[in-house]
Amino acid sequence: MKIRPIYIFLILAVVGVVLVFANTPKISNYKTFDNQELAQQNPDESYEKMMDVLTHQRCMNCHPNDNIPKQGDDRHPHYFGMARGEDDKGFEATSCNTCHQSLNNSNSGVPGAPHWSLAPASMGWEGLSRAQIAERLLDKITNGNRSHNELIKHMTEDDLVLWAWEPGVDADGNQRTIPPVSKKEFKKAVENWFANGAIIPTK
Amino acid sequence: MEISLTINGMIKTVNVEDENTPLLWIVRDLLDLKGTKFGCGKAACGACTLHVDDEAVRSCSYPVKFAEGKKVTTIEGLGDRENPHPVQQAWIEEIVPQCGYCQPGFMMATAALLKKVPHPTDEDIDNNIINVCRCGTYYRMRKAIHKAAKLQAEMSTNESKEI
Amino acid sequence: MADNSSGAKKVSRRKFLVRGGMGTIGIVAIGTYIFRNSIRREILGTVNSLELPYTDNTDKPMVWFEVTSENNIVLHSPKMEMGQGTFTGIAQMAADELSVSMKQIQVIHAASSTGNVDSFATGGSTSISGLWQPLRELSAMLRMMLLKEASQKLNIDVDRLVIEDGVISGNGKSLTYAQVAEGVENWEVPDAPVLKSLKEYKYVGKPIARVDLDAKVFGDPIFGMDAQMPDMLYGAVVRPTKIGSTFVSADIAIAENMPGVVKIVIEEDFVGVVANSMLEAENAKNAINVTWESYKDLNTEAITKIITVGNGKSTIIQKNGDSLDEESDLITLEFRTPIGAHAQIEPNGVVASFDGDSAVIKISTQVVGITRKEVAKRLDLDTDKVNIVPTYLGGGFGRRLHTPHAIQATVMSKAVGKPVKYFFSRKEEFQHDMFRPPTHHVIKGILNPEGRLHGLEHEFVSGDVGNNSALIPNFLPPIIGADVGAIRGGFIQYSGIPNFRAVYWHVDLPFATSWWRSLGLLANTFAMESFMDEMALKANKNAVEFRLQQIADDAIGVRLKNVIKAAAEKANYSEEITNGRAMGFAASIDANTPCAQVAEVSIVDNEIIVHKVTVSLDPGLAVNPDQIRAQCEGCVIMGMSAVLYEQMFVENGELTPTIYGPYQMALMKNAPREIDVVLLQGKDTPGAVGEPPLGPIGAAIANAVRRLTGERLTELPLKVSKSMA
Repeated sequence: MKIRPIYIFLILAVVGVVLVFANTPKISNYKTFDNQELAQQNPDESYEKMMDVLTHQRCMNCHPNDNIPKQGDDRHPHYFGMARGEDDKGFEATSCNTCHQSLNNSNSGVPGAPHWSLAPASMGWEGLSRAQIAERLLDKITNGNRSHNELIKHMTEDDLVLWAWEPGVDADGNQRTIPPVSKKEFKKAVENWFANGAIIPTK
Repeated sequence: MEISLTINGMIKTVNVEDENTPLLWIVRDLLDLKGTKFGCGKAACGACTLHVDDEAVRSCSYPVKFAEGKKVTTIEGLGDRENPHPVQQAWIEEIVPQCGYCQPGFMMATAALLKKVPHPTDEDIDNNIINVCRCGTYYRMRKAIHKAAKLQAEMSTNESKEI
Repeated sequence: MADNSSGAKKVSRRKFLVRGGMGTIGIVAIGTYIFRNSIRREILGTVNSLELPYTDNTDKPMVWFEVTSENNIVLHSPKMEMGQGTFTGIAQMAADELSVSMKQIQVIHAASSTGNVDSFATGGSTSISGLWQPLRELSAMLRMMLLKEASQKLNIDVDRLVIEDGVISGNGKSLTYAQVAEGVENWEVPDAPVLKSLKEYKYVGKPIARVDLDAKVFGDPIFGMDAQMPDMLYGAVVRPTKIGSTFVSADIAIAENMPGVVKIVIEEDFVGVVANSMLEAENAKNAINVTWESYKDLNTEAITKIITVGNGKSTIIQKNGDSLDEESDLITLEFRTPIGAHAQIEPNGVVASFDGDSAVIKISTQVVGITRKEVAKRLDLDTDKVNIVPTYLGGGFGRRLHTPHAIQATVMSKAVGKPVKYFFSRKEEFQHDMFRPPTHHVIKGILNPEGRLHGLEHEFVSGDVGNNSALIPNFLPPIIGADVGAIRGGFIQYSGIPNFRAVYWHVDLPFATSWWRSLGLLANTFAMESFMDEMALKANKNAVEFRLQQIADDAIGVRLKNVIKAAAEKANYSEEITNGRAMGFAASIDANTPCAQVAEVSIVDNEIIVHKVTVSLDPGLAVNPDQIRAQCEGCVIMGMSAVLYEQMFVENGELTPTIYGPYQMALMKNAPREIDVVLLQGKDTPGAVGEPPLGPIGAAIANAVRRLTGERLTELPLKVSKSMA
């Protein structure tokens, strides 16, 4: 925690930079990354990139605050009254897995990934600010008692999380939209943000 | 590729060119069991509902490869005229079907529900039975689902007595 | 005679022939029921109360019955079973007149090769009422012939023989029908059938379980979708997504070489794919790049603009007394209803085989005769060379009154020399439905000092319902000036009002609209009965009393009053709000069957919840009260689905949505927990059942909402304003 004051300074210093580059992120140069490289990245930029993903509908649709999964880019409530149920997997007999399997289905347009389910209610993000989402993400009470390392692993390796970049086609056969940040960049951003102490920027 | 599965208690091996072919078409066209219906092909109407390892699955959205080694039950295997499943018996007693096309899907969804929730409340029924019926048989179906729960309970009581 | 379904047509020129073979003894009836009342269609005043008699329009032999060697009766039904329970009703009628048990009757769909082809359709809620007289007469004839033959074989007078469950006995001797019929060359045919009295019937009037119950509970392969033929291939037809598209050209280079593709069939009016499996056909179809032209980027607003009273051609369909004085104290309300989809769960489809000489077509259809004729015409065959083998319908609702896919599959079969099965995708079902047309209604009324209606006018506009369909001859609409389907329910049923007028406007829509269960009734009754409730409120009168005061005491008026009273009484109709629930009332007459409904409604989180619906129906003689109740329950739920949730849109020239869910329909959780049905019998013959109960539900719900919130909802689907809830 001793590096915190430095970051408070940095946050103030880079706000302007982030605003300038927000619409034209320079992200294409990364090849590989190691700790050395990570340390050189701007953690606030990483934070915003990570949040661009977490607040995208591919992620947000299954992090509802009303126990109702959402669908589509317009985030409409899941049709047919599907809801969280007791175990985040729908109702007793008609569960998420009644329709959603471990892979996307190009015939039906039904998306799928391993352990398809809603994020726990404590991880409801809908309607929250980026800072509030980050707080929930980091709080062991809401995040399922996950350490930073466990969070990194979850966010960069879990099939259901990574499904956001391979969301398949919809019922009409059209590709679903993907988050505005590439999977590789997202992973890097997550690792960098945590490597730098997982500081939530304040305005 | 070859896929082996247990269909209504019988082990069958099917040869499929595309392992992602929906189980629905394997059941209907290769195994010639027509009770599982095609309604929308998009997992929206529930007419194709069957059981895979006792769980309700919409088979139009279930690649056959996932059924490898599993137990698949269709309406034909749920029960027959001599030995109807409590859900089928209740459907008969309440005279539920009209056109009848969606009914196997509803009965399979109901049988799966009764396995998990032996005495479903109206709310349980509303949450779990979300197939689409165009004739509007929901009113009788609700009565039949409650009746099926009773029949199932009676059957299990009788069975335990016999033991 | 008040009811044209009774007595007007006697069996005439009717002979019976016998056909043997295959362990069965076929009984063939020759005869014709002439459509004597066709002229009545041209008289607009009667269209609303018309009960179409059964017609066959043929002089060729028609197989009605087979007596099997197991002593069962196979009844070949010219009417299709689509859930409405017709098979059960006609089995009851035949069993009673034939003196056999229900178990001995097996009802099957008559293939067109049997000659027993309905020249009209299965539709219009006419099957039981239309067959009531002829089927019982045919059954009675067969019973009398068997009795006569048995009398000769047993050498006992007919008078001294008794029949029970298909066994004729006397003097300790007995013969089954099968034994009687065996080897008979020449039957003695009675001059006229002698029907039993209603009291003698064991099954008619009883709540007998559906005859197709087991087949439908155990998943038997009885539907069109389940039909197959040996060596069958699968077809698909390329369809445009935009309204008004005409075919220009198709690039089939990719599709041709796709796995499983057998042939791409290019015809003047369609491009089809034949492949080894349904999925392969579908995938290849999607890979064909078609150029379409002449579509326009229409939207819902453009359609709404077309559907506006004052557009198109008008016809006064009803008039009494004076026109309303525009300067008087008129109350005017406008109503709108949207485009509706059939959304039946079994997609349209067919299995067709053409062997170079003749065609066999297995299909779930409401129009056997028309399908046969159209296929024969396209393939330049005699109709005798086309055999339509109907299957059970996975829902009809009017959607299966159009069967051009039978032509397409037969043409594809001809092209590949093998049978072809072809079914719509769900998206095609939604985009190429024959929709329920949108409507617009302008209703004006004026009260007299006593708080009764002095005058009432209903002007409404609709797209095609009956017009431009094969069922209505093209010459008819210009003569009658109105669409016989669109005007159903558009008449003023409150015949006690001194001055009234109903005016129908017809417009052409850029997409196909047609028969949707109950036709114009759903929209027209929603508008008319919403208006009536509003007038009752203006008159400060109880809505039931207000209605009863304005109905004349003619035959149908008395029956309407009776259903209104019965529904109000059974539901304990009250205009108080109790526990957040209000009741709404509405009544209608359709095809001479009056119906009244009370809906008990509350509003939770802006959602309209229908808790209970009380239905009172007078279908005349109830052949099967249980199935009539089932039809009432089904109509209430299908109707509430249509009025609360369903709506098609036009976006960028495409009809949308194209899947269940986005096309919202009533689910289990939305259906009323209680549906209470009261059946009255206001006439001694069976009447229409399958559609009339769809009439009142929309207005009954809207009227309840009006009492809960003060808001008059004038558009379907009904949505409560945020500010009101």
